[in-house]
Amino acid sequence: MTAIRVSQQSSINKHKEEETISFFWNNKKLRARKGDSISAALLANKCQIIGRSFKYHRARGVTSAGVEEAGALVTTGKGAYTEPNVRASTTEISEGLFVYSQNAWPSVRFDMGSILNLFGRFFAAGFYYKTFMGIPPLEWGRGTGIWMFFEKFIRKAAGLGTASRLEDPDSYEHLHTHTDILVIGSGPAGIQATIQAAKTGKDVLLVEQDYAIGGSYLSLLDKSEFKKQTIKLKKHNITVLTRTTAFGLYDDTTVGLVEIICPEERDKKPRKPRQRFHICRTKRLILATGALERNYAFSNNDLPGIMTVSSARTYLNRFQLLVGSNIVISTNNDSAYETGLELETAGASVTILDSREQIADLLLEQILGKRINLYLGSAVAKAKHGVISPCVKHIEIAQKTNDGWRQSGALSCDCLLVSAGWSPVIHLASHQGCPIEWNEENACFISNGDNKSIFFAGSAAGIWQFEDCIQSAKEVAGETRTKGQKPSSIIGGWRTAIAPLYEIRVPTIKGKAFIDLQHDVTASDVRLAHQEGFISVEHLKRYTTLGMATDQGKMGNVIGLALMADALNRPIGDVGVTRFRPPYTSISLGALAGMHRQSHFKPIRKTPFNNWSLANNGIMIDAGLWHRPWYYPKQGENLQDAYIREATITRRSLGICDVSSLGKIMVQGPDSTTFLNRIYTNPFAKLAIGKARYGIILRDDGMVFDDGTTWRLSENSYLMTTTTNHAAAVMATLEELLQTRWPDLRVHVTSVTEQWAGCAIAGPNSRSLLSEIVDDPSEISNETLPFMGVRQVLLQNIPCYIARISFSGERAFEVYIPSDYSHTMMQFIWNKAQKFESCLYGLEALGTMRIEKGHVTGAEIDGRVTIEDIGLGKMASQNKDFVGSALRKREMLTSPNRPQLVGIFPKDKNKTFSAGALLNEAGKRKGHPLGWITAVTYSPALGHWIALGFIEGGLTAVEDKHIVLSDELRSNFLDVEIVSPHMYDPEGKRLHG
Amino acid sequence: MIQISCPFCGKRDHSEFSYGGDGQINYPPLDASEDTWHDAVFLRENIYGRQIETWQHLYGCRSWLLVERDTRTHEIFSVKLAHSDWQKLMEENR
Repeated sequence: MTAIRVSQQSSINKHKEEETISFFWNNKKLRARKGDSISAALLANKCQIIGRSFKYHRARGVTSAGVEEAGALVTTGKGAYTEPNVRASTTEISEGLFVYSQNAWPSVRFDMGSILNLFGRFFAAGFYYKTFMGIPPLEWGRGTGIWMFFEKFIRKAAGLGTASRLEDPDSYEHLHTHTDILVIGSGPAGIQATIQAAKTGKDVLLVEQDYAIGGSYLSLLDKSEFKKQTIKLKKHNITVLTRTTAFGLYDDTTVGLVEIICPEERDKKPRKPRQRFHICRTKRLILATGALERNYAFSNNDLPGIMTVSSARTYLNRFQLLVGSNIVISTNNDSAYETGLELETAGASVTILDSREQIADLLLEQILGKRINLYLGSAVAKAKHGVISPCVKHIEIAQKTNDGWRQSGALSCDCLLVSAGWSPVIHLASHQGCPIEWNEENACFISNGDNKSIFFAGSAAGIWQFEDCIQSAKEVAGETRTKGQKPSSIIGGWRTAIAPLYEIRVPTIKGKAFIDLQHDVTASDVRLAHQEGFISVEHLKRYTTLGMATDQGKMGNVIGLALMADALNRPIGDVGVTRFRPPYTSISLGALAGMHRQSHFKPIRKTPFNNWSLANNGIMIDAGLWHRPWYYPKQGENLQDAYIREATITRRSLGICDVSSLGKIMVQGPDSTTFLNRIYTNPFAKLAIGKARYGIILRDDGMVFDDGTTWRLSENSYLMTTTTNHAAAVMATLEELLQTRWPDLRVHVTSVTEQWAGCAIAGPNSRSLLSEIVDDPSEISNETLPFMGVRQVLLQNIPCYIARISFSGERAFEVYIPSDYSHTMMQFIWNKAQKFESCLYGLEALGTMRIEKGHVTGAEIDGRVTIEDIGLGKMASQNKDFVGSALRKREMLTSPNRPQLVGIFPKDKNKTFSAGALLNEAGKRKGHPLGWITAVTYSPALGHWIALGFIEGGLTAVEDKHIVLSDELRSNFLDVEIVSPHMYDPEGKRLHG
Repeated sequence: MIQISCPFCGKRDHSEFSYGGDGQINYPPLDASEDTWHDAVFLRENIYGRQIETWQHLYGCRSWLLVERDTRTHEIFSVKLAHSDWQKLMEENR
């Protein structure tokens, strides 16, 4: 096949013909016409071998002019701009574009990998499963040693393009689009539907995946009708998006669109995004998505130089490219004849093989007197390449017999065009589960949409005749058809009925007959799948990988189904069809991610002290969405040095810590006390005003949900604090209970997490510091503010709260400051703290001190523990009912053998360990462990490493056992001592006084 | 990509809402037996068709809603406030 440019009378591209641009094919500079697709540009430059196939490394060329392209997949761009598996047929060539062939070494014309083709018969469906399950009997039951060895070679040999590993330098946008009517496809039906819909005064959006509107109009020789329609379209001021693929249809007729911004536009405005992802909501969806021409299975049907009939017409009339001079067309339907005539007029000699034994007189009259040879009842049975060239040079013809096909002759040619029928593009309707039916008469699947908001028009509805397509578009867009009504039945419309054709098999002819070119799936693979019992279409797909390449089986699926139906001896409609999944054509992950990347991937929550902490050398750590101070290193300190110093100084004198991220919920209303008493496991009915109480919340199923202190501020108002992690979930649960279960309770809950900045002031000198900052030090004496007392005080005339609560185990206070004053107030407090030996401490030191005290956090309260498991069983009231009180008494939840919270010391005090390590009895390291470690730290107070964890039966059950810790991943095994979780100051002397 | 019509806020994208659970469970009083609670918490109908479920308009008015939805098609037939008194008020003032 050698394509040549032809000059035509068509004026629509006349001015463009002058404009030539240059591009690079495998780094060689070539010229193309502006407006060419990559395929057209390559064909015009006599480049016929464009890629190498997925598995067998067979030479592949241009097979189509549309999204169904199975051979001409290329990589465009360089470096970070690399884009693999680009369909050459649908991508516009642009000035200076780099285009590369794929899956070939050292070059696409001479590829070492093609040696695999010689061993092709070993690589049938299921090859990997069968070969690499382990070599019997040596590897029986042991699996895949062989696979592990060969995998890297196979992975290298098989495949398509390679993505860049560099960061994507482009930006992408998300857009919410709303319209009354969305028309997908700008062919004759799409344009007509758009014009019709616009006349009703509704909002209409027309999207087209190609870089030019027109659809099949672009492939016509006579463009006068197209011109007329475009003028009408312009009059109506309709939004038209080209380069925009409707890749998926979702609930509520929401359509996912990806719009590729024109490269030229981006050259002018480089900050424009590369692609836009539109979430388009429409009331009515008109699918004028057209139909894709199929090929059929015959020997060597993948040689370069073989393409669909309609694509030759597109190359001729859209790109002025005559794809060959000696062309053979093999068809089973009427659509190929017009193309044949136009190719002949353009100067090619044409031979048509029609698998039908009779055709309509009208068709015969059309080709009468032309240089067109017609063979009826014939089809191509095998394509053959040249001695050196891998492109098609000869074909062998099969003649229809009573019970099949027989070899009947040969022809030489330089281009072979195939048409075995048309498949309407019903993918989007399939995404939403609209019914899809096999139409025997037209040999294709047809969908009617949902008859509510999803409609088909034109050839997408299985309508072949031009006038009927226009009529169907008018009907669906003018809304003359009401809900539930069937479309006027004009489906089909061939002059001579199509003769189903899926495969030509002649016993005397051998060779691979492909049904899915992209994934190298052959007709014999389907038969093998049948033979081995994979007869369901879903199994067939997965066993042979039919339809799983980037084209998602646009051409091959129907052939595969037909061959399976044949093997099963059942009608195709009974075999079924796999549901199509989005995306219709591949879309970039960048478009889906949009702006939600890097620091924009998730929101950041900063505490009111954030800037102050950063200014004071704080290092931040992610805690959920929060950035919390982790540690405050002095010069030369690492994390461990810093947290040990911070914990030591806090215990010895004074430490200040940002605790603003704790959830804070105002609970107000006359029934607040009743409400809290139902929520918490421990009694809240008699909590005095000005007092705080530590409480535990269970889930309905009896497991621990969250913990925190709740402060009674007045008769009917409480401030509840939650853990940082569960703040949002606790809030939603309280709202759920009040709105769905207990609507009679007069309680209102409000999140005030953001309104208050909280800092913990801990250590023996904490009260001394507070005395410096409050106006009246008597307010915070041990008598006026005892342990668990709460007071509102004025600090610098700002009303703040001071609660005497302690997470560190030291005498400590939490000061709550209105967020707006947090910065100055913190500076004020910190200035006063300089009188003492003092430090700022972060999350790490906080963790150290809580582990020393055996206080639980999210590491222990992981949703799988009961209140007894964490040693707080006494907090579950026996005298009242509360959320979770019924189910927490279930047998398995009350077993004494459940893992319970304990402290862990290494026997050798110089040893360290890590969270996640397992606890076992000595000599029983295999199998289910006795327990595990949840949190570890170096304890400055005790002078060695300590841990919290769980062990079956708790401390008493393992007192006389020899327990070992095993950390298989880090190869750390050591003897440990199980102790009470209250490892430091168990009597709590330091808290009081 | 379903949309839910919040009685307060109007039609909003489902991403503003969070799914709760089965809206037809009558949770027993706190002093009910273990068995009664077991049934309420763990036993669920796996409905193929219309079901009533709870959703919260988390990034909106924070109302808990009773949504009648078809599990096959995701079609939504009705949305009410879960709080019975509030729903009554809404209906009276419509």
